[in-house]
Amino acid sequence: MSDFEDRLLGALKEEITTRKAENRMTTVAPAGRRRWVGLSAAVAGVAAAATAAVVVATGVTGGPAYAVTRGADGGVGVEINAFTDPEGLEADLAGAGIKAVVDYLPQGQICKQPRGTHGGGSGQFSVSIGRQGDGISFKIEKGQVPAGSTLVLTVSKSKDGDDQPPFATTLEIVQGAVSECEPTSMPVPADGGGTTEKQDQGPGFDTGTEQRDEGPSLDSKTG
Amino acid sequence: MRLNEDPVAFEAFYRRHVDAVLKFVVRRVSDPHLAADLTADIFLAVLDSADTYVPGRGSEIAWLYGIARNVVSAQYRKATREARATGRLAGRRLMDDDDLTRMEERIDAERQMRSALEAMEGLPEGERAVLELVAIDQLTVTEAAKALGIRQVTARVRLHRARRALEHFTSPSAVYSEGRA
Repeated sequence: MSDFEDRLLGALKEEITTRKAENRMTTVAPAGRRRWVGLSAAVAGVAAAATAAVVVATGVTGGPAYAVTRGADGGVGVEINAFTDPEGLEADLAGAGIKAVVDYLPQGQICKQPRGTHGGGSGQFSVSIGRQGDGISFKIEKGQVPAGSTLVLTVSKSKDGDDQPPFATTLEIVQGAVSECEPTSMPVPADGGGTTEKQDQGPGFDTGTEQRDEGPSLDSKTG
Repeated sequence: MRLNEDPVAFEAFYRRHVDAVLKFVVRRVSDPHLAADLTADIFLAVLDSADTYVPGRGSEIAWLYGIARNVVSAQYRKATREARATGRLAGRRLMDDDDLTRMEERIDAERQMRSALEAMEGLPEGERAVLELVAIDQLTVTEAAKALGIRQVTARVRLHRARRALEHFTSPSAVYSEGRA
């Protein structure tokens, strides 16, 4: 490895490795067993760093991995049935005019916050995540992700499989550059800490209303 | 086999073509640093476009030259200059003094080809593109057509027109050569 051609080859191979690692990060098999962290832990972890985020865990069954639909009102509906192919979802969202960064991580892991600057005033972000059939779905209203902003969706998958109800989901809107996902363990709440952690939630934080209907996994130890 | 996933396959591809890519570049630019950048950019674009790659010698060359042409085009250069500012792999940073000398030698060796390209500047873009790939880069007409995404018969017609138009120039003989059969 002494001349330009060899060094360039080395740099390009590194590039291949980096790109592969980035891909793998989003499709890697669930990590080993972790302490079950309930919803409030996930909520608190995100709320501490994000002014506008939604965390939800839902039931999922088979069917296509995801669907992106454009509504007549300019809104864009997203339905996810299996947490595979994040790039495909990004591409489809881009096709619908929404710049998006999607990361699927193993159970108990989430991207290190912050991913970037949150835009809009508190309470401006009112996307609701709900269940449609058995998948998670949400709708982005027209103008909610303006030019220069990015929708950042991060899913901590279930250890039971890509098509199983996710461990946790965060959805945020970042203004300007979005940092690469640096996987990190979700914070584990102190015993009975659920209620105190809720005080950290910013005003724009919306935990959604449908969550109480979720499957049994969600009910476990929310603090 | 995906070039952007398999380092071994990529290395084989790179070694097959790095010389041709360097030649392609130094026939078009005379600044050694820019030449290094563009060479790196072409192979990065290869990684970006890997899903359109079809193995097989004829189509491989056409595919690569199609990419190389895009990368070297002025518009692309402007875009990558901006991208490079955000830390993309920059070829010039991989050169030491010896490399710089070698790159200058390469550039020097292709002086005649650059003059030939200059002589083609007055041609309509479509015709010039075919003539460039055939006369300067030694592609067959079939490969040139593929690289440009045009039909073979179209490439032949354009090549013929381009040669006729250049007949009154006193251009290097390379312009008139048929290239590889």
